[in-house]
Amino acid sequence: MNTKLMLSALRAVRVSTSNKWQVPALTTVRQYAAPPKRFYKKTSVLYTDGGYEVVLDHRKLKTPKGAPFTVKSEPLAIAVATEFDSQRDHIERSRMHLSALCFTAIDNPNNLNKLDMVNYLLNYMPTDTVLFQYDDERDLKELQKNEWDPVIEWFNQRFETNLQKTMNITPPTITDEDRVKVAKHFQSYSLDTLHGFVYAVDTLKSIILACAVIEQMLPVEKAVALSRLEEEYQIKFWGRVEWSHDLSQQELQARLAASVLFVQLNCSENFVKEKLIL
Amino acid sequence: MSATKVLRSLLHELRQASPNGCIKDSLAARYILAQYKKYETTDQQLCKARNEAVFLGQTYLTYLSSLRNYNELYKEYHGRGERSVKETADVVGFKLPTDPK
Repeated sequence: MNTKLMLSALRAVRVSTSNKWQVPALTTVRQYAAPPKRFYKKTSVLYTDGGYEVVLDHRKLKTPKGAPFTVKSEPLAIAVATEFDSQRDHIERSRMHLSALCFTAIDNPNNLNKLDMVNYLLNYMPTDTVLFQYDDERDLKELQKNEWDPVIEWFNQRFETNLQKTMNITPPTITDEDRVKVAKHFQSYSLDTLHGFVYAVDTLKSIILACAVIEQMLPVEKAVALSRLEEEYQIKFWGRVEWSHDLSQQELQARLAASVLFVQLNCSENFVKEKLIL
Repeated sequence: MSATKVLRSLLHELRQASPNGCIKDSLAARYILAQYKKYETTDQQLCKARNEAVFLGQTYLTYLSSLRNYNELYKEYHGRGERSVKETADVVGFKLPTDPK
């Protein structure tokens, strides 16, 4: 009896929906959610015992999950406050990389732990951009050799690894020993800081370049240029399109700079030792 | 880039980023100036890499300027939906029947 009722109910629903179905209109305008308006006038930073908080007028800033926004580093909080202050009429959340990174680190929306993130970073190593070089075109080969090889060398020296570049499609072999060494280095960072590392590696598609920037061996612009080396090379022949090449370059630079700032401000601790004057 | 140049460009970018173009009571500007005062004698923080403070300043400068450039490019090129008949006609150099010859 029950199943019969259910079936008839289902049929009724199906019939009613099929009656209501209409031919979709032929407009192809995509509907985006309107960005929230700027609802505050002034932003500032508060110090509470847990850390630094950002205040919009008199409201405390919260993360998308609703947790209070607190960071341990003062300059980071100031940078986030400045970023909120620089929004004009609307809050463009997709272009606030530094705030987004802080929110991700606080909320941890994917519930990642340290091991997951270190594994994620290590899995980038065999497909690292700078390890795949191309030897069919002489100029490009020279360019990659001159630009990328010093960075690989620096990485090998810094982490005492032995990464070798590959000239064809087979991925470079990475020994377990090397993996352990790099993993150890990443394990020494806190969970928050690792979010910054993942962001940097995702931006550059290269763990070697990301480490070089974060260890201050390369400036941000140079690292982005190195990660887009082949693109820049091809641009020389095929022309530069502002709305594609320049746009992506500027975005990558902004993203990478945000992650580098995040990592460095998160792990820099200043101990000021003053002279005792007796 | 020298430290002074970084400072000047940073203040310039902050002025561009602030909605009213004034950084008199901007937190970031005040913080950066205080840091410059602090490392006036040496910008090489003790026991750490050389030029650490300047590197941080440069990174922030890159962040601000890249975001500004990105926004400018975006504003110029982003899609505004379908073109009107008049705009399409203008692109290919035609005239609408209603336009005077």
